[in-house]
Amino acid sequence: MENQHPADEKPPLFPSWNYWYVLVIAWLVLLIVLFYCFTKTFS
Amino acid sequence: MSILDWVVLVGTLTMIILYGVWKSRGQRNMESYFLDNQSMPWYIVLLSIIGTQASAVTFISAPGQAYTDGMRFVQYYFGLPIAMVVLCITFVPIFHKLKVYTAYEFLERRFDLKTRTLASSLFLIQRGLSTGISICAPSIILSSLLGWNLYWTNMIMGGLLIIYTVAGGTRAVAYTQTFQLVIIFGGMFLAGWMVVHLLPADIGFKEALQVSGKMDKLNVIVTKFDWQDKYNIWSGIIGGFFLALSYFGTDQSQVGRYITAKSVKESRLGLLMNGLVKVPMQFVILLIGALVFVFYLYFRAPIFFNEAQLAKVHRTEQGAALMALEKEYDDLGKIKQAQVKNLAAAIEGGSHERIASAKSELKATDTRSQEVRNSAISLIKKADPTADPNDTNYIFLHFVVNSLPKGLVGLLIAIIFLAAWGSIAAALNSLASTTVIDIYQRIYNKEASPEHYLKVSKLWTLVWGVFCIAVAQFAGSLGSLIEVVNVLGSWFYGVILGIFMVAFYMKKVGGTATFWSAVVSEIVVLVIYWTGTVSFLWLNAIGCLLVILLAYLFQLFLEKPRVANS
Repeated sequence: MENQHPADEKPPLFPSWNYWYVLVIAWLVLLIVLFYCFTKTFS
Repeated sequence: MSILDWVVLVGTLTMIILYGVWKSRGQRNMESYFLDNQSMPWYIVLLSIIGTQASAVTFISAPGQAYTDGMRFVQYYFGLPIAMVVLCITFVPIFHKLKVYTAYEFLERRFDLKTRTLASSLFLIQRGLSTGISICAPSIILSSLLGWNLYWTNMIMGGLLIIYTVAGGTRAVAYTQTFQLVIIFGGMFLAGWMVVHLLPADIGFKEALQVSGKMDKLNVIVTKFDWQDKYNIWSGIIGGFFLALSYFGTDQSQVGRYITAKSVKESRLGLLMNGLVKVPMQFVILLIGALVFVFYLYFRAPIFFNEAQLAKVHRTEQGAALMALEKEYDDLGKIKQAQVKNLAAAIEGGSHERIASAKSELKATDTRSQEVRNSAISLIKKADPTADPNDTNYIFLHFVVNSLPKGLVGLLIAIIFLAAWGSIAAALNSLASTTVIDIYQRIYNKEASPEHYLKVSKLWTLVWGVFCIAVAQFAGSLGSLIEVVNVLGSWFYGVILGIFMVAFYMKKVGGTATFWSAVVSEIVVLVIYWTGTVSFLWLNAIGCLLVILLAYLFQLFLEKPRVANS
């Protein structure tokens, strides 16, 4: 159980975890927009 | 089921058990048994989180939900990605920093022993009972569809996984979940492909989507706000957020998955990836249901998908009336078959007027069919008051058993078992860890050897397994089991989440104020439920907010303000 301090753990791909959080929320927004278009296209 | 189906079913289940037993080697103490020495990479954490949340009912019920109500159920998961972000910011670093085995350990560091014991006890009651019901729910459906004995189906559904869960603890649970999910996703993809393949030759995937959409089954987004409507974008984001936060943040069956990661980074990645994949995954499962709806426009659908229940009513004095309704329903089905072909041709032709006209005709017949179906359901209830009038959970498996080729039926039935095993194994593991870490070791036996604690941990996993199977054997008479599980959760989740919210965000509130606020809130929640004042779905929010409010007030009157030391 040798954990680094959370502050020391850099995320992969991005310089900070905030970018990951923004990515997850942006992905959700994108999905909602795509689902909205999907609903409208086929209704 | 054919011999080939039995070979596939038994072979798949045996393979999983052997794999689980093989992965069970090397357990030497509680740390390896419950945390796997915190060695899991993020992708195992991710699959374990998904495998724990996706129970058998997920794969049985979701396609049926899309069949009856369209795909809007996916909005229920919109709050989940936001909850994953909050967990990564707040919960994960603290759980890792304190190196806890269970979420409730944190409550003693933040508050005191009595608050920890209260939260862990509420979890044990809720998770123990709901796991028993989770064993029974798919067993009832399978035993009804395939004519199996319910007692033995419960034993296999809840019993065989105990072998590797007792032997291998968290490691066996996580690695078997990974393997199980590969089979589950493969099987579900094949089922989805088969639905389209079995449609008439001129109806492909695109045409099936167009027909499904015209029949309002692709209603993924509903923007209209309505307090009475469970599934719209607003209830999905707000209600789904609180539900996901309490489930992933305070339920040990989930916390126990991501605290096994080898670092905060791996835990966070597992949770964030879950935030990325969960919504699309549910979308695909629901899409299969929307396609099954199109399938049953072209081919005969029974008036009620629980055909064992139908057969029961046929043997009563209501049998003749039911037969007349079935005849009318089948006649309407034939009309719908002609009308759906007309609609598909109109869509192909592209004339808006012709499409509108064909759609209107088909919808009118479908509405009439629904009325006849509702009359049949009323008749079933009249003939057998104990019957569950909801056949949503039977729709997808009815399609599987009656329409899929030999071999694939066995695989899909195996998937139901594997999905059940994944979530039940995680539940047993979490029940044992909470019992041993939060109750046995903390209160009754603080100074035993690592070997003793390992032995006790295995024993409690076995005890909880037996307990859950026993609950399953009695749960069959409780009515709609899906709703019973949700009601049980809503009794306790809100209060437990409230305790954690106070712990994280109200640093000046102490243990005594939190403990008594939780006790009072739990009583109030139960009273509200029994008086039937509000729908049970609101109890999560009420319980959580009550704990926060009362803890603040009690702190003002009972204790001097204190500053949390963690």
